[in-house]
Amino acid sequence: MKKTRILTYFTSILFLLLFCVTAMAQEQKTSSKKTTDTLIIKQKYGLRLGADISKPVRSLIDDEYKGFEINGDYRLTKNWYVAGELGTEEKTTANDFLSTTAKGSYFKVGFDYNMYNNWLGMENMIYSGFRVGASTFSQQRNSYTVYNTDQFWTPQFTSEDIEKVSGLSSVWAELILGIKAEVFSNLFVGIQAQLKYSISEDDSASFGNNYIPGFGKTYDGSNIGVGYGYTVSYLIPIFKKNK
Amino acid sequence: MRKIIAILLLPLTLTLSCERDDICSEETPTTPHLIIAFLDLTTITLENPKNVTKFRVETVDDMRVLDDYNGANQTDKVVLPLKTNDSVTKFRLYKDYAISNNGTPDDTSDDFITGNPDIITISYATENVYVSRACGYKTTYKNITITVEDDGDNWIQVIQPVNDNQTIENEENPHFNIFH
Repeated sequence: MKKTRILTYFTSILFLLLFCVTAMAQEQKTSSKKTTDTLIIKQKYGLRLGADISKPVRSLIDDEYKGFEINGDYRLTKNWYVAGELGTEEKTTANDFLSTTAKGSYFKVGFDYNMYNNWLGMENMIYSGFRVGASTFSQQRNSYTVYNTDQFWTPQFTSEDIEKVSGLSSVWAELILGIKAEVFSNLFVGIQAQLKYSISEDDSASFGNNYIPGFGKTYDGSNIGVGYGYTVSYLIPIFKKNK
Repeated sequence: MRKIIAILLLPLTLTLSCERDDICSEETPTTPHLIIAFLDLTTITLENPKNVTKFRVETVDDMRVLDDYNGANQTDKVVLPLKTNDSVTKFRLYKDYAISNNGTPDDTSDDFITGNPDIITISYATENVYVSRACGYKTTYKNITITVEDDGDNWIQVIQPVNDNQTIENEENPHFNIFH
């Protein structure tokens, strides 16, 4: 009786000790795992190609507009990207007195800087960019009606004679503010606003440049222009690099 | 996701709906009028303006009156609109315009117009010049000749351009002088 009690005592102690040891051993194991398995976040570097979807959408809605633009960027460092756009636009600008059509193509090159500190594993962008843009285009006068403040005699003279001037060019600088979000793996959607400053503008058309492909609408007595873009782009990952 | 799409679509609708046409400022010189000064025939110098009393201007074909010259007032110059879609514009210019009631003030059917009407014919070549995006084109005039129809009792004695090869490009000064 006594013997058996002593036996159970010892065996239970032994069991307890064993558990203790195993417990300690496990603790040690987990801690050693943490130090060796430190999570390394690698970020994707590569070429991102896309298109401005607002332009084909607007082409469908707006009878006076046709446009298409592809864009791309390549990641240089953690925050810097080299970026560019290539596009064509045709826009008719008309009011009661004058209708003109600008048609041409353009390209823009420059840099984007990502100002956003991403959470681990995310690669979204809130960015600011700079571009130099250039376009070649033609201007066509479709029709005009003489502007006359005195409507005693009506109608005023109207001309339907088409006058076209080709081989015009324009250069401008552009500041961009935008966001790009990764909605699916490697697929990004973005929106950007553009502020442009015309550097040179060939206005040899006698009726001026009401619209310049790439630059957008011009304003009398001002070199400033504005624009916007909605991009959908796909990242072709070329290599990964530690953050 | 739906929220993002809504945010993305907002500026698009704004830019499509808010694209307004520029408005032509009233200070911008556009298509000019023909300005004729009335001068005193007796002195035949350019410094003596002479008013035309009860001056009225109306169209020759349908007798539409120019609002500023309805026959009630006197003036020493007249500002006339020219047709931009034609090369000839005609006006009937009345001096001492009045309507006589023929002795029957209650009966307007036998009223008749008194005064001295002269018909002038202005012929010219038009040239259309680009002004700005908002104002489009204006018409200017050159090779202008003004003739007075001889009705045997013309109050307009001499009509002559202010300059040789007179053009009408602005409204700063009179373009023609009429001596009467």
